[in-house]
Amino acid sequence: MSTTALPAQIARVPGVAIALIALCIVFVLTSPGFATSPNIANVLTQSTILLLLALPMTLIIMTEGLDLSIGAVLTFASIILAITAVSTGSLALAFAAALAVGLCFGFLNGALIAVFDIPPFITTLGTLGIAQGLSLVVTDGQSVVGIPRSIETIYSGTAAGIPLPIILAALAYAVTHALLYHTRFGAYVFALGGNREALKVAGISVRGMLIRVYVFGGLMAGFAALLMTARLNSAHPTAGIGMEFDAIAAVAVGGTSFERGNGWLLGTLLGVITVGVLRNGLNLLAIPSSVQVACVGGLVIAALFIDGLRGEQ
Amino acid sequence: MSILTSETLSSRFTLSGNVMQTLYRVLAVALLCVALTALSDVFLTANNILNVLRQTALLFLMASGLTLVILTAGLDLSIGANVALSGCLAASVIKITGSPLLGIATGVGCGFIIGLANGVLVTALRIPSFIATYGMMWVLTGITYYYMAGETIHGFPPGFRQLGSGHLFGIPVPVYFMVLFLMIGVLFAQRTTWGQQIYAIGANPIAARLSGVPVERRLVLVYAVSGAMAGLASLIILARINSAQGDIGEELTLPAIAAVLVGGTSLFGGSGTVAGTLIGALLLTLVLNGMNLLQINSSWQPLATGIIILLAVWIDIRTRRIGE
Amino acid sequence: MKYLVVGLTAALAALSSSAALAEGESIAVFTKNLTNPYFQAVRVGTETAAKKLGVNVIQYVPTKPDSIPEQLSQVEDVIVKKPNAIVFIPVDYKALVPAVEKINAAKIPVTNITDRSAAGDFVAFVGADDYSIGLAVGKRLLDAMGGKGNVIILEGVKGSLTSTNRVRGFNDALKEYPNVKLLASQPGNFQRLNALQVVENLMQSFPQIDGVLAANDPMAVGAIEALEAANRKALVVGINGSKEAVDLIKSGKLLASGDFNGFIQGCIGTEIAVRNLRKQSTPKEVMLKPIVVDKTNYAPYEVPVEQRTCPTLEQVLAN
Repeated sequence: MSTTALPAQIARVPGVAIALIALCIVFVLTSPGFATSPNIANVLTQSTILLLLALPMTLIIMTEGLDLSIGAVLTFASIILAITAVSTGSLALAFAAALAVGLCFGFLNGALIAVFDIPPFITTLGTLGIAQGLSLVVTDGQSVVGIPRSIETIYSGTAAGIPLPIILAALAYAVTHALLYHTRFGAYVFALGGNREALKVAGISVRGMLIRVYVFGGLMAGFAALLMTARLNSAHPTAGIGMEFDAIAAVAVGGTSFERGNGWLLGTLLGVITVGVLRNGLNLLAIPSSVQVACVGGLVIAALFIDGLRGEQ
Repeated sequence: MSILTSETLSSRFTLSGNVMQTLYRVLAVALLCVALTALSDVFLTANNILNVLRQTALLFLMASGLTLVILTAGLDLSIGANVALSGCLAASVIKITGSPLLGIATGVGCGFIIGLANGVLVTALRIPSFIATYGMMWVLTGITYYYMAGETIHGFPPGFRQLGSGHLFGIPVPVYFMVLFLMIGVLFAQRTTWGQQIYAIGANPIAARLSGVPVERRLVLVYAVSGAMAGLASLIILARINSAQGDIGEELTLPAIAAVLVGGTSLFGGSGTVAGTLIGALLLTLVLNGMNLLQINSSWQPLATGIIILLAVWIDIRTRRIGE
Repeated sequence: MKYLVVGLTAALAALSSSAALAEGESIAVFTKNLTNPYFQAVRVGTETAAKKLGVNVIQYVPTKPDSIPEQLSQVEDVIVKKPNAIVFIPVDYKALVPAVEKINAAKIPVTNITDRSAAGDFVAFVGADDYSIGLAVGKRLLDAMGGKGNVIILEGVKGSLTSTNRVRGFNDALKEYPNVKLLASQPGNFQRLNALQVVENLMQSFPQIDGVLAANDPMAVGAIEALEAANRKALVVGINGSKEAVDLIKSGKLLASGDFNGFIQGCIGTEIAVRNLRKQSTPKEVMLKPIVVDKTNYAPYEVPVEQRTCPTLEQVLAN
């Protein structure tokens, strides 16, 4: 049942792939440092945290939902992770705490949406405020420091020459891919987007499924918090601000539609990498920051414009 | 009227449903006011009430045009960036020409054009409004940053400043704008064909198109109006703080959306009112005002806002169920 | 697709040509955001010094203002390019320590300005003592108030080192004037509209406010606007020494502003970076003296930053 979605996706190889290839060619031509292995490693590594958020976002958007709180949950989870690490000295415990935070918020989101019928946009806007508020209140605006330095290896370590974050992100991608395309859970996710009646007829609880999807989002946010905290070697209440919109944009640029429950995970991956490549290339070329800002918007619009041209209707 | 009879009937039903929703909200506002009066002895003073009204006015102006967009099941994430660019351009014009009128025309005009661009992206290029306006937000911000180059423009003529910080018969000028656009908004939405068509588009775009509604033109209209209102709001901000900087208005986008949603307009389109948005804006402003008066640590504000949003919508949904 | 690539390449070539000068050392400058005029002054300072010394500076600013992850990414990207030196203002003095460590590991000499990083090896630190400025400006206000009355403090962004130190200065100034009462101390996020609304609200609770200690100029301006709109008078001081502040000092609406000179920090930071590259001696720390700008000495601050000349290191150290 899950494979029926694929042929349609291949015809959409579209917008995001074209954009990515075009950008790579341009940057290779104009910037000598771009195609070097340290730089490529950089771009991929810098994209990992966003990818971890964009993967569950793809599923959520496929269910015609949205998770605006994922950036704030990431931030709050990283703060709890940091505080736990500092007070207990145990990274394992800290990681568990971060996952727990993600789980709680994911469950809260799912419950409000599924049980109380509050539209996802509003629910997650509300929980965004709650998570953000908690982050500010708990830290009083200050960074949390003093984490055992061993945490840094999670972000800067390598295995077989490949940076650890890339390996972890690849793992997350593989898991999500398997979940979406090779399990019943994934099939149900597709159904949640296009065909809820089928679920009800099959006796599957729509509520339960929705909650699970948002819990998945929360857990990934907790996982991403580990990478973020390892990267900063600290936690800061503004660290994850705006990442939810970046994740949503990456998913949309990648071809997943808001409306029909079509999901394309590979597209999300390409979307995340494309944005990373754009920023990296512009930095290497020392393009003024204000122009960079406009370029990001231009990329998003262009990718979807190309998609539209290829004709979906 | 070229609208199908069933459409007319359903919009009437929505109207009475809307009245109930509005009543509940007015009740909420009243309760909040009572609570704040009890908790703080300065709440019910003339100065504070005028303050609240003035702050509400700004939020409402941003959110009023946005209401129309959301009524069509769309979204405009670019309003904050719109305020920044329109405001900065208007500020330049005022400084260069010395004419507040030209500045006002620039501000509203720029906002309108940006809105038109959004409309084109959504209708002609068929980009989902979330993404189109998100991309536009970045583009506008980039242009603004480039144009302002980190500088501020400050010092406007006193005549212009009356727009934001002036008083007329003791009431702040922005409040008059609020009332004016409330009336315009309500009349437009409920009493004109165009307004009804907008509701129809939100409720059922296919049926609307079949019954002869020029969907694309109305969509472009709502985005243009949303943009123009953002332009107007930028002028009020300029007049109040007497300066322009690249990041003005940035922090108003999500609160404006929240005001519309708390006011009872549904994201799925087709139901909600401009009056509701006003009450939503009022509710949010009262909460923040209360927190300030009670000297609650400002770190709690996002938390409180988040909870209010959830509560408001939840109550709405419960009462809608009861109504059915 | 072909046209797309050609078009993009041409556009980028045009945009980047201005930055791709060949002669002289290259210095990467990191600032926090594109909107705060203070950082613009820093950037202008670095560019003015660069022209004088014959080096290139390239500016790196996060596209999302004050974004920690973005500045981290920019540092990583810049390290690949291996500039000769870096002049660095961390978005957050603690969170960017890993970035500084990466710069150190890449053996690129780095000079820290404005916000003192919590850790890392630097060629030097160039800054102004936020505490001393807060203290000096605070004392000026309390003096002008005759040592009695009510004041409010407008703090900056919660958690920012600048805000914390300036407010500490204000509070210590208050200790020297026991007859002055502190009514409230609230954050205004270093922003105009924020501060305006905070003061508006505070005016409801406190009918008599005689003085406002604002941790930066935009907030001071916001306070003045709020007071004027309510027809109330109070003495207001800010910190930055910005053009807007000078205009208000001239018109008598602002009492004074502490000089927190981004332009000079940019100049000196660049000069030190260059001297270090050219194997000349450099001091480990340059702390600019706190100067209170008021009606008596505002003239030099009226000159727009683009037209100012950089003082030399010797001139600054001699002060």
